[in-house]
Amino acid sequence: MSAVSRWLAERIPVQPGQLRELTNEPVPNHLRRWWFCLGGTPAYLFVVQIVTGILLAFYYEASPEHAYESVRYITEEAAYGWFLRGIHKWAATLMIASMILHQMRVFFTGAYRKPRELNWMVGMCLLVTVLLTGFTGYSLVFEQLSYWGATVGANITDTVPFVGAHMKRLLLAGDAYNEHTLSRFFLLHAAVLPVTIGLLLFLHITLIRLQGVTEFHFEDEGPSEPKFFNFFPDHFLTELAIGLVLMVLLSVLATALPVTMGPKADPLTTPEIIKPEWFFYVAFRWLKLFSATVAVLSMGFILFVMFLWPFIDAWIRRRWPGSEFSVWVGTAGALTIIGLTVWEAAVAH
Amino acid sequence: MKSKEPPASRPDDAPPRRSFLGQTGGAAMALALATSYGTCGAYGLRFLYPARPPRRIWQFVAVADRLQPGESMPFRAPDGQRITVARQGEAGTVEDFIALGSTCPHLGCQVHWQPDRQRFFCPCHNGVFDPRGKGIGGPPGEAGQSLPRFPLKLEGGLLYIEVPAEGLLV
Repeated sequence: MSAVSRWLAERIPVQPGQLRELTNEPVPNHLRRWWFCLGGTPAYLFVVQIVTGILLAFYYEASPEHAYESVRYITEEAAYGWFLRGIHKWAATLMIASMILHQMRVFFTGAYRKPRELNWMVGMCLLVTVLLTGFTGYSLVFEQLSYWGATVGANITDTVPFVGAHMKRLLLAGDAYNEHTLSRFFLLHAAVLPVTIGLLLFLHITLIRLQGVTEFHFEDEGPSEPKFFNFFPDHFLTELAIGLVLMVLLSVLATALPVTMGPKADPLTTPEIIKPEWFFYVAFRWLKLFSATVAVLSMGFILFVMFLWPFIDAWIRRRWPGSEFSVWVGTAGALTIIGLTVWEAAVAH
Repeated sequence: MKSKEPPASRPDDAPPRRSFLGQTGGAAMALALATSYGTCGAYGLRFLYPARPPRRIWQFVAVADRLQPGESMPFRAPDGQRITVARQGEAGTVEDFIALGSTCPHLGCQVHWQPDRQRFFCPCHNGVFDPRGKGIGGPPGEAGQSLPRFPLKLEGGLLYIEVPAEGLLV
């Protein structure tokens, strides 16, 4: 043992064997298929968001007077600002898309069932927190969509019975959008929500490690084939390859479809055609179909059912053994979400 | 020589007393911690809540007689909000007048007047209102909502309106 190794071993008393055990969780064979690695994708993109977000915060100013100009400076004048903002925006899009795909994979393979109910609930909290981060993110640009999105979002919370009015005042720092609102959104977007995501992610991964990954066996796997492979280096290399593909994809998207600046926020005029980011199309269309209270309460109820789905599903399967009800519910839910999203995307109003 | 006798003791009671004191002390400490951190948490929450209630002020609109029955005039509140003030009666009281705001009661977007269709329209969620501000289509129509009405008062023949003095432009 060299002097340096000895010095380090005295100060970091971890044996190589312990380290190997910690990092070398046996990974089930089905994870060789990339679509089972969709859970790692949002985690990777979260790191991308943290890095690009910190860089963007060097120039961003969270005040109604300067926010729009600071984003314009980032986009049009700062060196590679357009690229970093583009990466940040596209990584958010891919992060939400991959989370939805990951959740669908978990749902349709029944991986949320006992004993993994709690981790499904942590995952649902992650999804909602990430959607809130997306919402507060595009509110920061202070273009028309940002202002009216924030106004509509705050008024949605206002429709929640009993606590809604207080929640709205807390969110806006007043009864209407005012000079303190934007800094509040910035703090939520850049500190409160990312820390929450980090903690939830830690809990999510810890539970996965404690319970192990669900195992699937495919027909093309012979009985003599090993059922597991090593996390390090095999699975680690798969994740690295996914990371590389994502970086290429993000660079292409940020360059080919660069971020732009919409018209600056005008509190006196709601634009004739206004739409949120694509991941809120379904909620936006839902709000057009029903009165505000009905729409908000029904969306809350749907989220609540999704949150508790592992227990509802267990009850259904106890009552009707062998039932494929969850598959039908999942298919109907996915088709409804896709249908409402396409409908909102296809029409002006 | 007589040796000193040890003070009367109740060795059997000592451990329960000690554990009672320990538990009481622990509980008191937990209570103090919860109270102090809870108070700090409550202060933090109150700090985040707006310091003052929304301010509203009365503003002069017009000399009442200048607005004839059937006529309307635009008014702009200090927060920039567009308000339509109309006269609909001849009794000479404040009930003759109506002041309609442009903020959609659904989720707060700004409605605009569509002259070709004689209606107010909200582009956010397709809310439709008749010329008197009543919701007749979209979510506001379904929920029976109307455009916001502002309080008016008549003093010495002068018409005043109560409007919010809080907003991004104030």
